Amino acid sequence: MKKYAFFTGGCQSLTAIQYLHQSGQLACVVLVDAQPTPDLMQLQHWLQQSGIKTLAYNLSDDTDLLSQLDSLAVNRGLIYLFRHKVRPALIQYFSGHLVNIHPSPLPDYRGPFPLYWQLRNGEDKTKLTLHQVTELLDCGDIATDLEIEIHPFDTISCVQYKVAQALPELVAKYCQLDEKQGITWHKQDEKSDKTAPQVEQQQLIVNWHKQTSKQVVNMARAGNADAGCALFQFRQEMFQLLQASVVESPLIGVQAGTVIEVDRHTGLVIKTINGALRLDVIGTQQGVFDGYRFAVLFGLEAGFTLNN
Amino acid sequence: MEAQHLQVTSGLSFAEPEVDALLKHSVRTQLESLLTQKLTVEQRVQQLQQSFVDATTLVLSDTETQHQVLVKAFDAMYDQAVQSMALAGLSQALLTRQYVSASGLIMSPHNCKHTIKDVYRIKGYARGIDQAIQSKLKHVSSITVLYPACGPFAPLLLPLLSYYKDSQKFTGQQIQVILADVHPGAILALTQLVKDLQLDEYILCIEEVDATEYKPKESIDLLVLEAMQHGFTKEGQLSIAKHLVQFLKIDGWMIPQNISVRGMMVIGETEFNQQWKEVEYSHSLNTDTDAQRDRVELGELMSINKSTLLNMQELELQDGVKVIQASQVTLPVDVDDMDKRILAVYAHIDTFAQEGVGQYDSGITHPRPDMTFYIDTKPRDVEHTHFVANSGDTVQFYYQLTGLPGFVPVKV
Repeated sequence: MKKYAFFTGGCQSLTAIQYLHQSGQLACVVLVDAQPTPDLMQLQHWLQQSGIKTLAYNLSDDTDLLSQLDSLAVNRGLIYLFRHKVRPALIQYFSGHLVNIHPSPLPDYRGPFPLYWQLRNGEDKTKLTLHQVTELLDCGDIATDLEIEIHPFDTISCVQYKVAQALPELVAKYCQLDEKQGITWHKQDEKSDKTAPQVEQQQLIVNWHKQTSKQVVNMARAGNADAGCALFQFRQEMFQLLQASVVESPLIGVQAGTVIEVDRHTGLVIKTINGALRLDVIGTQQGVFDGYRFAVLFGLEAGFTLNN
Repeated sequence: MEAQHLQVTSGLSFAEPEVDALLKHSVRTQLESLLTQKLTVEQRVQQLQQSFVDATTLVLSDTETQHQVLVKAFDAMYDQAVQSMALAGLSQALLTRQYVSASGLIMSPHNCKHTIKDVYRIKGYARGIDQAIQSKLKHVSSITVLYPACGPFAPLLLPLLSYYKDSQKFTGQQIQVILADVHPGAILALTQLVKDLQLDEYILCIEEVDATEYKPKESIDLLVLEAMQHGFTKEGQLSIAKHLVQFLKIDGWMIPQNISVRGMMVIGETEFNQQWKEVEYSHSLNTDTDAQRDRVELGELMSINKSTLLNMQELELQDGVKVIQASQVTLPVDVDDMDKRILAVYAHIDTFAQEGVGQYDSGITHPRPDMTFYIDTKPRDVEHTHFVANSGDTVQFYYQLTGLPGFVPVKV
């Protein structure tokens, strides 16, 4: 009998937890014992209502947790959105049966922000990859994976939703393979050029002199609407760029970052290094506006050049 | 609420036009005045015509008029003109559309409506055009005047024509004007204004056309050009002039007769701030002697007149950008504080005879600081848009004919 402990930190894991719970394989959910976020509180509330046992993950010591897992006869561990490095004692406890779900086609996009960087790089599909947990983050052998299409209009929230919907299928696939002892572990390539590091503030600011139209479009949707929102500067103030679209422009000799059109129908259009871009949705402290209304309200005129 | 409001509006058929909310917001003072005065259409038109005549009478007078008197007269003309614009029924889309075309910036009617308040630009042009028309009509019975990129109010000609009509100085048989603009919103406003001013007899046609491509059927006696911003940047003045000069009669004149674009190295604080602290308004007559003496003049970068335009050669760069070779300048040596100075480009406009628009007289002749031009110093982060040179270097200036025209310096 397989009995799972599910390590997580947010509601996006609910579909997988539900699957394990309904299939009678869930022993407990392990949550971080730290300052609760609204998302974590919502998860705790749901777990409590569903009568699911929760254990606390102590950030400095595993002793109590290991004892509780043992008392519940837990023999399988599944990690998703846990955001904490698991210590060796816990890895040893599961004897190779502690697995992590990483939303990227590993070894690409190892790191804490895989979906953000895949969207920002304009990937048109991703994978949910289930791999063994080792002391090296996101580097363990792979048991199985599941491909997910990324629509060109998807924002990070859209992809997170798709991933959440796909989780039960991947978990079910893994459980069935495990049940039949049919898991074949595949080694990952050691290196990949594509990584998913923490997003620095400077990386969120549009660089009109370096970024192509498509890169800014992807940057905007990767951060819509999340902490990693794309930003642009106008008159010493930062504004959020929540959505942008590529448009054609035959203009030559006009500096990238220059406003080339303000029009009620065609919107607010900015010259880029390889064409032009329409700023569709802009977030400000005064509210959210389309590009045209933003330009009229904030006095952004054709011919004006935005800073980097 | 909405239906109730409409009923009220329809009751005032003579007073409040159907106005887009955005225009209504920006010209509410003028519209409120229209409503509170309860004017009939005839009364409004009469006030409009009178304001145009009054402003022009003042600027054509050889007696010196106080600045505040001129400002008041031009404000009145502006107030009346925007009421006419409101009646033109521009949609919000037409009112606010602005864009960069292949040859220059096309401003929205909403933004260019203020041009009619630029007192000394209109004064310099009106006095020059008046003299040019008088000179022409001494020898011929009628002339054709072309005013491209004239905007929603054609401010360099419509006030003058109103004055001619009122004073019966010249008739529509003597002066035939072609007004042209690429912006459909400007054309709508212009058509309404011409109708309200009852100047139809002077107007040969109003063309919605890109001035850089327009081919008038008539030979032109006077070509009136203004589409420019400070530092001779952004708008397509040169492209328009270069194209249309070919349609001038052999003895036809371009107004302005000459534009001299010059460069100078200035201490920004002295030139743009200290110089104006003690004076009522900025104008070439009010410049400060010390500030003027502190300038380091680089000389003329370009001269634009009928002769230079006809001989102007375009060079096409590898990326397709077209440029015109302007002047070569040797940067002066022995200027101790050159590293603290910035380049400022300004224009002096000779409209006709002794009339003109001097530096600081108008937005179009206001010196424009260029923060990308560095001499004897370097910016903290050098970008490709920066120009870095040393005293004693020779700099060749080019004028680029792109969507946002302007000068480009190259070290020789």
